[in-house]
Amino acid sequence: MAYPPAAQSPPPRQPSVKVILASADVQRVVDRIAHQILEKTQGAENTVLLGIPTRGAPLAKRLAARISTFEDVTVPVGVLDITLHRDDLRRHATRAVGPTQVPPGGIDGRRVVLVDDVLFSGRTVRAALDALNDVGRPASVQLAVLVDRGHRELPIRADYVGKNIPTSLAESVKVTLAETDGTDEVKLYGGTPA
Amino acid sequence: MTKRRPAILVLEDGRTFHGEAYGSVGETFGEAVFNTGMTGYQETLTDPSYHRQVVVQTAPHIGNTGVNDSDDESGRIWVAGYVVRDPARVGSNWRATGGLEERLSAEGVVGVSGVDTRALTRHLRERGAMRVGISSVETDPRALLARVRQAPEMVGADLSTEVTTAQPYVVAASGEHRFTVAALDLGIKRNVPRRLAARGVTTHVLPAGSTVDDLLATGADAVFLSPGPGDPATADGPVALAREVLRREVPLFGICFGSQILGRALGFGTYKLGYGHRGINQPVLDRVTGKVEVTSHNHGFAVAWPGRGQDPGAVEVPGARHGAVVPDAVIETEFGGVQVSHVCLNDNVVEGLRAKDVPAFTVQYHPEAAAGPHDADYLFDRFAELIEGRTHSEGRTHA
Repeated sequence: MAYPPAAQSPPPRQPSVKVILASADVQRVVDRIAHQILEKTQGAENTVLLGIPTRGAPLAKRLAARISTFEDVTVPVGVLDITLHRDDLRRHATRAVGPTQVPPGGIDGRRVVLVDDVLFSGRTVRAALDALNDVGRPASVQLAVLVDRGHRELPIRADYVGKNIPTSLAESVKVTLAETDGTDEVKLYGGTPA
Repeated sequence: MTKRRPAILVLEDGRTFHGEAYGSVGETFGEAVFNTGMTGYQETLTDPSYHRQVVVQTAPHIGNTGVNDSDDESGRIWVAGYVVRDPARVGSNWRATGGLEERLSAEGVVGVSGVDTRALTRHLRERGAMRVGISSVETDPRALLARVRQAPEMVGADLSTEVTTAQPYVVAASGEHRFTVAALDLGIKRNVPRRLAARGVTTHVLPAGSTVDDLLATGADAVFLSPGPGDPATADGPVALAREVLRREVPLFGICFGSQILGRALGFGTYKLGYGHRGINQPVLDRVTGKVEVTSHNHGFAVAWPGRGQDPGAVEVPGARHGAVVPDAVIETEFGGVQVSHVCLNDNVVEGLRAKDVPAFTVQYHPEAAAGPHDADYLFDRFAELIEGRTHSEGRTHA
């Protein structure tokens, strides 16, 4: 009889990955945010959706599509590039400046809903508020995000949150969308192993 | 599970929703109303006040706890149709004796599932309750719309005779018998006599067409006007009866429809609310004590704020939103002074009346709950105290 093999050193730890929202969940969450926008804006009246690249832009388009399915109203959609307003612009290599597309009619005097995938430090949103200044003067600005993972560094909060994910700073949240990455998914990487 | 048949829901204004057949296959019409209760669907379905109404449940999951033998509020399902988003695939509860969909099918209730109830509710909230049709046999929305527009409206509907009991019956007091109450059944819920019985009250439930003498012939110490469906403006019979009860100064308590009848008996108007109150978390201010109760509601009509002319509801009550005790004006009627005792804090609708000079009070909401919170249960105590006070002061005794 052979003795059982001596204990090996434990295998290297795999970084843990957890799917927080699968494809159907992302769709459901987008639907709900669309409903909430309708309810909080008196039927999306005088409202413009502006997506923050990269993934905020397709999200804004989806929200507008869902809103028009639910209530038969057309909400103008645009893209707001924030590159030149980032507070870490000088610390990194040169970035490509993306296009900003403001829907016809502009944003002056309208209610702008900024759309982004993940709300984290709040610095992106701050930059977006700066970038809005270059485009016009909205009557009010709201914020819709697919995921709020906490750890704000600025006094910013979202008006519409798809999913609150309490995280540690050691973790990271990754959103993928069909339009940009092939699949709809929200994943949480790292953190304490199971 | 086999694939469900497609079904359509068409509102009076033409808005169409697509879903799948739920419950019985067929076609039905009624007034579309939404109920915001997260629980209590069995009580909702069997509440006679929902007669001729198509109920939209805002809670997305319905049927999770199946149905049981003890939660019915009447002998059958009364809703004209049922609209849900995600019906439970499996109902599970230790009290359950069957599944909800089987019960709906057995009673021939036509429903639709898979409907975006949030969008539908918003539509009704913004445009008001309206007629609706559900069909799992008609596929053309335009054809169904034509039939929806021919369906009868809720305004002017006299429905209490359709839901009332055929024969009088008695619900005995549990424990020691203290008082006898005659209840005029305009669509009573079972939990009302049950709540009264718990206070030593024996309740004689009589059909809607009964006279004052029929009621008092039971040896009643007091009269109860039940909840029920329909437009209170049509309830001339019960209103005349209530006036006679007031004239004779017999203690009177009423709930919901009964409150609207007392309002009319006192000479106040009633009107149809935009989309009604239906749910189990409606805040109501008791203007006598300044306390706020979270209450169960189910009413599409209300008593017009007395003494405010033609403008029915939507009266700003100073301080009401902050729960302050409002120094209340006493409105003079032919039966003496009357106060608005309760008000809904969501929209300042009249939720209760209290007569100062005759022994009568009513509430527009449902202290018997079922489903709903029990905050307002004390009103049955108040009724018992009112009877006690009268029987003692007048030296009347009943065995």
